[in-house]
Amino acid sequence: MQEQGTDMPEKKGLIEGGAVGEAGPVDLFRTVFERIQTAILVIDPAAHRIVDVNPLMESLTGFGRDQLLGSTCHGFVCPARFGECPVTDLHRDTLNAEREIINANGKRVPVLKTVAKAEIGGREYLVESFTDITDRKRAEERQLALIAFLSESILRARKPLEIMQQDFEQLAAQAKSGDYDAEEIRMQLQVHANNLRQILTNIEDLQKKALEGRSDEIPPEFREFFKRT
Amino acid sequence: MDAQTATEDAAESLLCLLLARPENVPEMNLLVMKKILKSGCTPLVVTVNKPCKVLAKMYEKEGISPDSYYVIDAVTQYSGGVCIPGSRVKYVTNPSNLTDLGIAITELLKKMPAGKKCIMFDSVSMLLIHIPSVTASKFLHFVVTKLKLTDVSGVFLCAEKGLDPVILSQMSSFVDHITDFEKIGADTCIL
Repeated sequence: MQEQGTDMPEKKGLIEGGAVGEAGPVDLFRTVFERIQTAILVIDPAAHRIVDVNPLMESLTGFGRDQLLGSTCHGFVCPARFGECPVTDLHRDTLNAEREIINANGKRVPVLKTVAKAEIGGREYLVESFTDITDRKRAEERQLALIAFLSESILRARKPLEIMQQDFEQLAAQAKSGDYDAEEIRMQLQVHANNLRQILTNIEDLQKKALEGRSDEIPPEFREFFKRT
Repeated sequence: MDAQTATEDAAESLLCLLLARPENVPEMNLLVMKKILKSGCTPLVVTVNKPCKVLAKMYEKEGISPDSYYVIDAVTQYSGGVCIPGSRVKYVTNPSNLTDLGIAITELLKKMPAGKKCIMFDSVSMLLIHIPSVTASKFLHFVVTKLKLTDVSGVFLCAEKGLDPVILSQMSSFVDHITDFEKIGADTCIL
């Protein structure tokens, strides 16, 4: 059955529909390449050299087009070392994989990376696309901080409070029985008064850390546990 | 783990993290103390919860003589109480003073007569009021290492579910057993 509406120009796409006019498909794809909101590198896999970049790649890395073109990718924008290219040497598929690129300040920027092989003009190239996930990572770190500090607040308050509640009940029973040493009762009450003050200080400190998202203070063990679960 | 397995495992333990419901923690202290004495060990009680004067009275009511154990007390000074000097007691200013706590443990273990010794730490849960969990974990690792090197047993009391999974997993890697107090029968040997 013939698809309905295939004669309509908008169903043929821009090239077949003739909308690109005299400019032709090359200009169309160049415009898309330059305007797309994904950073793109085109790599010559034999030499590991960058042969083309789009403007978003320039803004993502902080390097100008002139600096990028002709440069080797490893150790420049890619943290992989020579001989350890994940695509050409290690033959790994890279599809929306969380990776990092190195920007002009030497800082690692978290990205989602996809590498596709493409034949252009009879030669094979790697088309590498990158989406900056810095904001997402920041949100994840903030969420991790909130959970970690909330968990620590509960841990350092709940069970001690339950133990103290039991102690208070015992102290009340002792006081009721009349069989007690006043100094012993005072000492235990003072210990718990100090404990309660310390618990409040802990909660305030942990709340402050959680609100400030101080994820750098989260122990690596907790970070690993959080990732696993 | 069923009660029988817990019992058998606990019987072989040198280092044990003993978990109980918060309302059973005081009872757990007393029971462990009796079991340590019954096993022929000399107990060293490290308390970050009750002053030694209160503990001594509690033990005395149960027929435990003050001459049968040693104490490191990290709360009497913290409560503003009077630290009565004695050859069997060492005081630490407060439970967060881990340096002095570590030194006191080392010194008192050396001072104790030769023979089987066992530390009872009361309690990990209350220690967490005074120091972050990561610091507590490191400190307990330090204590456990010291105990292993000197062939001293140890029972660490803790309220159940009073440790987060990360600390519990770390603790499980450096104690021999984690045992539920409620699953241990009255005749079970802890050590």
